[in-house]
Amino acid sequence: MSNYIPTIGVEVHVELKTKTKIFSPSTNGYGEMANSLTNEIDLGYPGTLPRLNEEVINLGIKAATILNCKIRKVMHFDRKNYFYPDISKNYQITQNRTPIGYDGYVEIEIDGEKKKVEIEEIHIEEDTCKSAHRGEKTLLDFNRAGVPLIEIVTKPCMTSSKEAKLYLEKLRELLTYGDISDCKIEEGSMRAEPNVSLRKNESDPFGTKVEIKNIGSISNVVAGIEKEIERQTKLYDKGEKIVPQTRRYDDKIGDTVLMRVKETGNDYRYFPEPDIPFVVLTDEQIEEVQKTIPMLPDERRKKYLELGVSETNTKKLIQNRNLSDFFNTIIDEKTNHQIASNLLLGDISAYLNKNEKTIDETTLNKERILELIKLMEGNKLSSKNLKEILDSILETNSKIEEIIKEKGIQNITDDNKIIEIVKKIINENEESVTDYKNGHDRAIKYLMGQVMKETKGTINPKIAMEILKEELDK
Amino acid sequence: MKYLNLSIKEINKLLKDKKIKPIDLVNEAIENIEKHKEYNAYITLNKEEAIKKAKELEDKEVDNLFFGIPIAIKDNIITKNLRTTCASHMLDNFIPPYNATVIEKIKEKNMIIIGKTNMDEFAMGSSSRTSYFGPPKNPWNKNKISGGTSGGSATTIASRDLPIALGSDTGGSIRQPSAYTGIVGLKPTYGRVSRYGLVAYASSFDQIGPMTRNVYENALLLETIVGHDEKDLTSSKRETEDFTRLIGKDIKNMKIAIPKFFVSDIVDKEIIEKINQTIEILKKNGAIVDYVDMKYIENTVTLYQIIAMGEASSNLARYDGIRYGFSYENPKDINDLYLKTRKEGFGEEVKQRIMVGSYILSGENAKIYYNKALSIRDDIKKEFSRIFENYDWIIGPTTTTTAYNLDDPMDDPSKAFMDDVLVIPANLAGLPGINIPIGFDKSNMPIGMHIIGNSFEEAKIYQLASLIEKELKLDLNPWKGEENE
Repeated sequence: MSNYIPTIGVEVHVELKTKTKIFSPSTNGYGEMANSLTNEIDLGYPGTLPRLNEEVINLGIKAATILNCKIRKVMHFDRKNYFYPDISKNYQITQNRTPIGYDGYVEIEIDGEKKKVEIEEIHIEEDTCKSAHRGEKTLLDFNRAGVPLIEIVTKPCMTSSKEAKLYLEKLRELLTYGDISDCKIEEGSMRAEPNVSLRKNESDPFGTKVEIKNIGSISNVVAGIEKEIERQTKLYDKGEKIVPQTRRYDDKIGDTVLMRVKETGNDYRYFPEPDIPFVVLTDEQIEEVQKTIPMLPDERRKKYLELGVSETNTKKLIQNRNLSDFFNTIIDEKTNHQIASNLLLGDISAYLNKNEKTIDETTLNKERILELIKLMEGNKLSSKNLKEILDSILETNSKIEEIIKEKGIQNITDDNKIIEIVKKIINENEESVTDYKNGHDRAIKYLMGQVMKETKGTINPKIAMEILKEELDK
Repeated sequence: MKYLNLSIKEINKLLKDKKIKPIDLVNEAIENIEKHKEYNAYITLNKEEAIKKAKELEDKEVDNLFFGIPIAIKDNIITKNLRTTCASHMLDNFIPPYNATVIEKIKEKNMIIIGKTNMDEFAMGSSSRTSYFGPPKNPWNKNKISGGTSGGSATTIASRDLPIALGSDTGGSIRQPSAYTGIVGLKPTYGRVSRYGLVAYASSFDQIGPMTRNVYENALLLETIVGHDEKDLTSSKRETEDFTRLIGKDIKNMKIAIPKFFVSDIVDKEIIEKINQTIEILKKNGAIVDYVDMKYIENTVTLYQIIAMGEASSNLARYDGIRYGFSYENPKDINDLYLKTRKEGFGEEVKQRIMVGSYILSGENAKIYYNKALSIRDDIKKEFSRIFENYDWIIGPTTTTTAYNLDDPMDDPSKAFMDDVLVIPANLAGLPGINIPIGFDKSNMPIGMHIIGNSFEEAKIYQLASLIEKELKLDLNPWKGEENE
């Protein structure tokens, strides 16, 4: 175990889910032919000027709100000047002095305790182009150039890779739920860059910071931080100094590798972007945007548990945004929400997966699911029967009661009829009845199976079991 | 017959009455330009396309005043499929795949682009002598400069090659060459004309404007190029207006301010004399003229240098040899490509300004110089607003001297800026300004007066300028009897 206290901060870039790029009308897309989503603005041609995609500002407001940040009402963009082939103008338009959000936090739960991960600032900027190295040559694909990004910077306030992991998971959940980004790390629409330093005591100043870049997954963020703590600990133990540097995580060797040593005083010659006037946000605009924020995961979690949904189902629902949104349409209804969650996560999910559909692509709606729950609750439909008619429920607009009638699979809910069948089974299986009376538990299961077989599963198994027990104990 | 010496209105009538065709105008313009070739007003002639366009227009209805009128475009305004060089080796092979917004507008009116005019490289200079293609020469004396940076546009208008041209003005680049060549040139209010497709030198100053033979046609041309453009966030929401509407209205009891600095001893005596004579005319017409003190006006050149060069150093970073323009062949690596491309592609003046601008924005300097200059710039704007609370116009000479010799030394780096000391304040404040010719010096070189108006009061500027024009009735044709066809 290390004798040092790690200090961890994380910078996260996420690509915003907009139709077009931040400063040009080019499509914001992924996986298209190289340089097909570009125009003269993205390529930094002479005389071109940036426009400003209002959607980006709105998503910035949304992100700032969700991450509990203060929102800056008067802001401008800045030019960050540096020569590199990935930026067509040789300057990046970003927000250096007036980030849209600042002083926020994300709440995580670590070992049962709540902790606020503090957000220093979030700012809006343009993404760079993608470069691919082919032997001596470098190929440039400007499709990504000008895709809107927000950069979310935490304070150096985390002390373990576990905290960093929980923070990133929570951040991803919040940003996806806020429809801000799809946060696909593997496609690069979410990129996390942790920085790590060590110190001996809480009271010591922070140690020398090392940044880790090029990390392709949250688990690699954890591995990267762990490896870096290990590396720095060894160096400190040997009495050596840490050189400020940027490292990358190499998945193949499972370790961090030096990218470059930080040169002192990186000079980006920042100045306010003269091509974009100051952006002034009104209270009305901020409120309008905030109204569009859907119910966030924490609130959903609380609500679902209150409604009597099991913890497992709650977790699963929230992991599936579409199902959770559908579920939200009935949270104010008087119904059995546990059954609803069972239905959604069980048979309906299986059907959707099998048919590669989303719930919005079915005919299921609020009224129909309420009817379905009512039928199931009233034992008018067993889950076995449900499977048979599920495609009709999800693909037609017919009333579910009518579907049941049409298919002739009405449940046997008449107790007398069930008693009759149970009696018949008891009579036909004397041996098992004797076994039961001699205390063999397995026998009742066999008898129950026979009852279900006889009724082709059209009876409520709970009621059938009760009657079976009653008859056997007579 | 020379049609291009007629007024636009007269030409328009001839076209409407089918007495002439657009091709007659194009042929005449090209003939003029070829005759004046040694004046080097053009970098690229658009001869074939212009002829083609003129032929196309023969079947079309003459639906506006500028229909079929040949126009010259400064070579820092992007023209689709027509080479746009910025007078730089860096772009001497650059054929843009898009149009500037002003070009779209003049194409809508079916004007015919005759060619791209000479200028200072990337609009940096004051005499057009930093052009990679050699300087244009002054039609009044070919040993003299035409001024800059819109020297080619000024030359071709002064030469009477054709009636209208576009220039651009960052720190006097329309008004100063207009003064040196005896034409009318207006820098509109910042934001009046879209900058989309104007190759950026200093973004917060750059503005495209009309350069013409007279005030009335200047106002007409302005009307066709203004208007809000969603492609330029700094363009004003104001739509077009009739800029000729105040022409001919009297100026009785209207008030004119003359900042004392504008008529101080930095200005040649001959020019002051002409200004004074013009002031007498204005007074005779009932205007009230006061001499005023204005804060910071002596320092505007310094402020301009800091902000403009800072912006320029960033604006010109994109010329790296990767995507377009000149590219150094067989570089060792990416840094070698950057270094050699920019070393060979840019001229001395441009490199000097990029270096100074980079220094100004570097580290702590940004605070000491750039941010401070921005804040004083706000104070200057306020100072102008204060004057315009009580006055209709601010006037002064456009330049401190008349056009000087082409072979005057270029070794003083601040000289280029001092040529524009009287016109730069309007750029800092974003205000509209015009050059109106008011006479000639002893060696028969034109002298100009500068009129600054309040924001978006171009119409009012034209009111005063046209009155001066009418009163003076100057003969502004440099060829006079020499070219009697």
